[in-house]
Amino acid sequence: MGEITLTIDGQEIIGDEGMTVLDVAKRAGIYIPTLCYHPDLAPYGACRLCIVEIEKMRGLPTSCTTPANNGMVVQTKTPQLQEFRRGVLELMLSEHPHPCLTCWRRERCGPFDICLRNVDVTQRCVLCPKNKICELQDVVDYIGIADVDLPYTSRELPVDRENPFFERDYNLCILCGRCVRMCQEVRGIGAIAFTSRGSESLPGTAFGRPLRDSDCKYCGACVDVCPTGALIERRRKWEGVAEDKVATTCPYCGVGCQLELELKGGRIMEVIPLQDNDVNRGQACVKGRFGITEFVHHPDRLTTPLIKKNGGLEEATWDEALELVASKLSGLKKDEVAVISSAKCTNEDNYVVQKFARTAFGHNSVDHCARL
Amino acid sequence: MTFDELRKQAIAEWEALQKSDKPRILVGMATCGRAAGAGALVNLIKEELSRRSIGAVVTEVGCIGMCYAEPLVDIIKPGRPRICYGNVTPETAAELIEDYLINDNPRPDLAMGTIGEETIEGIPKLTDLTIMKPQVRISLRNCGHIDPDDIRQYIANSGYNGLIRVLEMTPKEVVDEVSKSGLRGRGGAGAYTGFKWERLWEAPGNEKYLICNADEGDPGAFMDRSLLEGDPHSVLEGMLIGAYATRSNHGYIYCRAEYPLAIQRLETAIKQMKEYNLLGDNILGTDFSFDLTIKEGAGAFVCGEETALMMSIEGRRGMPRPRPPFPAQSGLWGKPSNVNNVETWANISAIFQRDADWYAQYGTESSKGTKTFALAGKIVNTGLVEVPLGITIGEIIYEVGGGIVDNKKFKAVLTGGPSGGCLPASQLDLPVDYESLTQAGTIMGSGGFVVADEDTCMVDMAKFFLSFTQDESCGKCTPCRVGTRHMLDILERISRGKGQLDDIERLERLANTIKATSLCQLGGSAPNPVLTTLRYFREEYEEHIEKKRCEAGVCRTLVRAPCQNACPAGIDVPRYIRAIIQGKPEVATAVIREKVPFPAVLGYICVHFCEAKCRRGQLDDAIAIRLLKRYAAERDDGDWKQRIKKLPPTEKKVAIAGSGPAGLTAAYYLAKQGHTVTVFEAESKPGGLLRYGIPEYRLPNSIVDKEISDILEVGVELKTNSPLQDLAATFEQGYSAIFLATGALSSRKMGIPGEDIGGVMHALDFLKRVNAGEKVELGKKVAVIGGGNAAVDAARTALRLGTEQVNIIYRRSREELPALSEEIEEAEHEGIKLDVLAAPTEVLSDNGRLTGLKCIRMELGSPDAGGRRRPVPQEGSEFDVAVDNVIIAVGQEVPKSTLPEELEFTGFGTLQVDPETLQTNVDGVFAGGDVVSGPADVIAAIAAGRLVASSIDQYLGGDGDIDEVLASPEGEVEPFNVEEAEGEKYRIAMKLLSLDKRGNCFDMVELGYENGEAVEEADRCLRCDLEETD
Repeated sequence: MGEITLTIDGQEIIGDEGMTVLDVAKRAGIYIPTLCYHPDLAPYGACRLCIVEIEKMRGLPTSCTTPANNGMVVQTKTPQLQEFRRGVLELMLSEHPHPCLTCWRRERCGPFDICLRNVDVTQRCVLCPKNKICELQDVVDYIGIADVDLPYTSRELPVDRENPFFERDYNLCILCGRCVRMCQEVRGIGAIAFTSRGSESLPGTAFGRPLRDSDCKYCGACVDVCPTGALIERRRKWEGVAEDKVATTCPYCGVGCQLELELKGGRIMEVIPLQDNDVNRGQACVKGRFGITEFVHHPDRLTTPLIKKNGGLEEATWDEALELVASKLSGLKKDEVAVISSAKCTNEDNYVVQKFARTAFGHNSVDHCARL
Repeated sequence: MTFDELRKQAIAEWEALQKSDKPRILVGMATCGRAAGAGALVNLIKEELSRRSIGAVVTEVGCIGMCYAEPLVDIIKPGRPRICYGNVTPETAAELIEDYLINDNPRPDLAMGTIGEETIEGIPKLTDLTIMKPQVRISLRNCGHIDPDDIRQYIANSGYNGLIRVLEMTPKEVVDEVSKSGLRGRGGAGAYTGFKWERLWEAPGNEKYLICNADEGDPGAFMDRSLLEGDPHSVLEGMLIGAYATRSNHGYIYCRAEYPLAIQRLETAIKQMKEYNLLGDNILGTDFSFDLTIKEGAGAFVCGEETALMMSIEGRRGMPRPRPPFPAQSGLWGKPSNVNNVETWANISAIFQRDADWYAQYGTESSKGTKTFALAGKIVNTGLVEVPLGITIGEIIYEVGGGIVDNKKFKAVLTGGPSGGCLPASQLDLPVDYESLTQAGTIMGSGGFVVADEDTCMVDMAKFFLSFTQDESCGKCTPCRVGTRHMLDILERISRGKGQLDDIERLERLANTIKATSLCQLGGSAPNPVLTTLRYFREEYEEHIEKKRCEAGVCRTLVRAPCQNACPAGIDVPRYIRAIIQGKPEVATAVIREKVPFPAVLGYICVHFCEAKCRRGQLDDAIAIRLLKRYAAERDDGDWKQRIKKLPPTEKKVAIAGSGPAGLTAAYYLAKQGHTVTVFEAESKPGGLLRYGIPEYRLPNSIVDKEISDILEVGVELKTNSPLQDLAATFEQGYSAIFLATGALSSRKMGIPGEDIGGVMHALDFLKRVNAGEKVELGKKVAVIGGGNAAVDAARTALRLGTEQVNIIYRRSREELPALSEEIEEAEHEGIKLDVLAAPTEVLSDNGRLTGLKCIRMELGSPDAGGRRRPVPQEGSEFDVAVDNVIIAVGQEVPKSTLPEELEFTGFGTLQVDPETLQTNVDGVFAGGDVVSGPADVIAAIAAGRLVASSIDQYLGGDGDIDEVLASPEGEVEPFNVEEAEGEKYRIAMKLLSLDKRGNCFDMVELGYENGEAVEEADRCLRCDLEETD
């Protein structure tokens, strides 16, 4: 792929052919506000915040959709652009609760702060699960909105809580389309799409049926790309911002999806599939995405091996347990033993299991739960 | 069979058909014709023919564009030219078969015109009709002439010759020829077709897609439908040529599913093309292959946008995507593609059937060729017309379109559908080309041409089109989805009288953001109707916001009833009509008196704007509101006097110059506000024009005297023979405010030789002398010049003085006569001759004695800035009229020299005042009535009197509230079922003085309603005020 040179905000930047103007700018660390853009999704151009001025091009093209060409001269921060971005952002905010976004005291507010302003509780950012991790907040901070001149109208939709994993509150939706495109382009499912037209447009299922009647696999990919609080994991809704993060491998199956555990107070608050790896590239299935927190912290979860003594199960150490198993196995004949393994084990573990069966017992009676 | 053989065969068949010894009947069977009943008509014709055993050939053809005259039936008898008959009903169809087919009477009374070289006496050539004359039919060349379901008829009319020519050329040569023709996209944006083709031509490979955009969705546009229904092959041949030129192997026709007939025609056409090897592999034996698929669209407007259209073909939700990449780089299924509109494709086949130079001779430098427009709205000839680009908007409306329905005033035309803009009368001279329209704030678009008249509210119109685009917004990008909704909310509140002062600015700011940042042109152009109405009709928005008033009477929340809305003084017409129905004319008078002190005068002579807006008038006749007012006023019992508002004295003195309706109205209300009012009148008696300008047979002086005495009764001092001329001196006499209402009494001259000769009079002087009882000698023949009420008054007065013959000479057409139609009718009954479209050029005399007038015939030329067509002298049409007297009634002016010189004047020679307060440039001096407006109506003068009374009261420290309640409160109004009242019921005729009694006397002509008649007439009222508003 050939190299191309662009001039962005007076700075000469090298890019690769096939990149968009936004890609090139990002590579050089030039910030252009975006909301509908997502690196895993095809260029879309809906939120209109990444508009730029490009010499010899009509109008204000969106940098996320415009292919970068050699010799392009791009401006990303002219007063005209900022003014139009402000106009578009105001329009967006006229459909999204925003008293906290335009409040002069917001710097001082922590999550769940009590506010004496006459603002509906449901309209406060400090009470939104996405507070401080909301991309809309970031963009408002960058562009700066002192006041929204247009009346705010809530869509007054009920919050959809029909599944145990995530909530859908379309009163907070800005129609960036990331959820729809993620479901369609990356997951290949298309459980949701845009419904209705004009100002009634919203993401949703066919004929407004519940998600469970759609093709939804509850993978949560839509939740992960939602820039606002419209799609939020129910379990972590009131947890706020993570204190620590730990990368791990999903224990559920042999694929080995890389996950990041977001921790707070020593507990997992949310599990996010990791982007930068070749195994799952930011994706997970419903088990990895939503099924880890609960079993990790479940009171019934086994944390040590148990040995049956005197008619009851008693906690033991691994050494004791392995010792006991080894001694019992060694007393058995070849055709008295079969080995069964689990889909939850990694490929390496399963390899060791069959090797063990073949070398230790000298037979091929090995099976796996996924075949049952 | 080679194509050559096929063509020869087709031509032979076509010629045989033309020379057939059987009569042929062509019936316009496009959707427009079917909607008008052509389907039943064609069956009836066939039955009638078989019943009478007439062996005629009946062919179903497309539409020739004259949709207003559907159903259209053409009859060709052997040896006779083709005759086109319009508005054919089952009855007239049967008559035509009987009279023309059997008895050879071509029935010129039913015919619209003949088609072809030969003519028939009494029937014009169709191409000479004003709607047809300016047209150049290129894309519509075959519509209405051939059977769209028969490919051989198309081939016989040069069809597929373009393709044959192209197959001999290289693709690049074809592209170049398109570029040379200058053709631009007819779908809306106007991109150069050759340029687009070249981009596709240069794209690698041959897996490319050509698309015909037939997703016609603009409200009021139907050119694509008509073309596909009338001549599908012209479009398909264009696509074949395009495919060859751009080396594309597959085509799609994206047609909205709401066009079932068009789709059916296309399917038939494609089948026939395949039969003749014009589609598919190795077309006509060459190595050129191309296939076509019809894709039905589900009716989303946005799918007319090319990227959304391609999404929709791919089976996805039609949502546009940004360009670049352009379709020629990555289009349908990610392959190089090109989208052109139906009409563009039809032009392509025409260009190659002839050549590029031939096509480029039409149009302007940058906009070549012709464009089809769909005329709709308040225009006489609704339908499809194809005209060369560069024609003016005025020519399209007044020549091709035949002008405005009911001769109403043109207000605006919206071009380009909901993405276009509204152009006002001042733009009627604008040439229709891509650049001029863009500069004027609108677009060519697909050719929608929606005409609005004076009864259209521009805020409402903008709201309509914006609500369309808001509904049709795909919802993808923020500015279009949310921004148009906010704009619509603002328009909605403006039309409900809840607009805020900065709403206009807010609209403009939103519009700019939406235009600059929307993803596609649906959003980018959605604000155009708002922006252009703001640009050209800003005052209407301001009126809605500031005065909560909708002049056109459309915005329901602001308009209680159209009649009341139309009244300058805001008289509560619905309520007094109701009082009359209830048999309480005295209550009706009190209701009228709540707004005006001259109920009877108005009942006799008001110009009744109310009746022009009366909804009943759209059904049968408007309610006789003026005559009912007279009925009520004649039954005034004076009971209202007990309830008049009279405030305590303020010790402030007001001087009023002039005792016409404006002066006396102001005097009346100011006196009741507690001020000491003196009216200074230059003449010996009060009343101004009411007394001196209007003849006794229309308004008896006794009526004027009675109403003036009621006014003086509230404490107004009147000084006759006392002109007020010195402002400073008046203030010195202790007056705190002065109101000038001295009228526009100076007669305008014509500026022709001989007009100062003895025997020439001015209408106002003439009427004044007669009204004052002076004896005026007239000769046997009198000509009155002008067409206003003064002209008709003068003419009828002259007749009553014993003149034998009176002619009214007027330079415009009869429809444009400004005088009241009932007055014109009566004048004609009395024997007065109207000579319209004529103007005097010289007063002829012999030795100082007036002998006649030299006149010239006029014709109507291009429209002026007000939308009226200018009368233009026809050279060599001079003629002489022998007359003894000439009465000039061509208008009046404000006599500047008689007014105090410190006052400022407008460019029209009227006094300059603040429109809100009516204060002149001199502090404390106010002016109103004709002296400000120029010659106008009594009701306008009364309204000015009310406004100035309120304004002066505020100036003097009062609250300016002059409203009062004179009628007893109205109890609960009975519910009214409008459906029951909607049966046809015409106006109760007014009894008139018989003609033989009118002779030499000035007795009242209108005799007034009797009780029963009045109640019956009033009961025709549709009670618009009771209509529920949401």
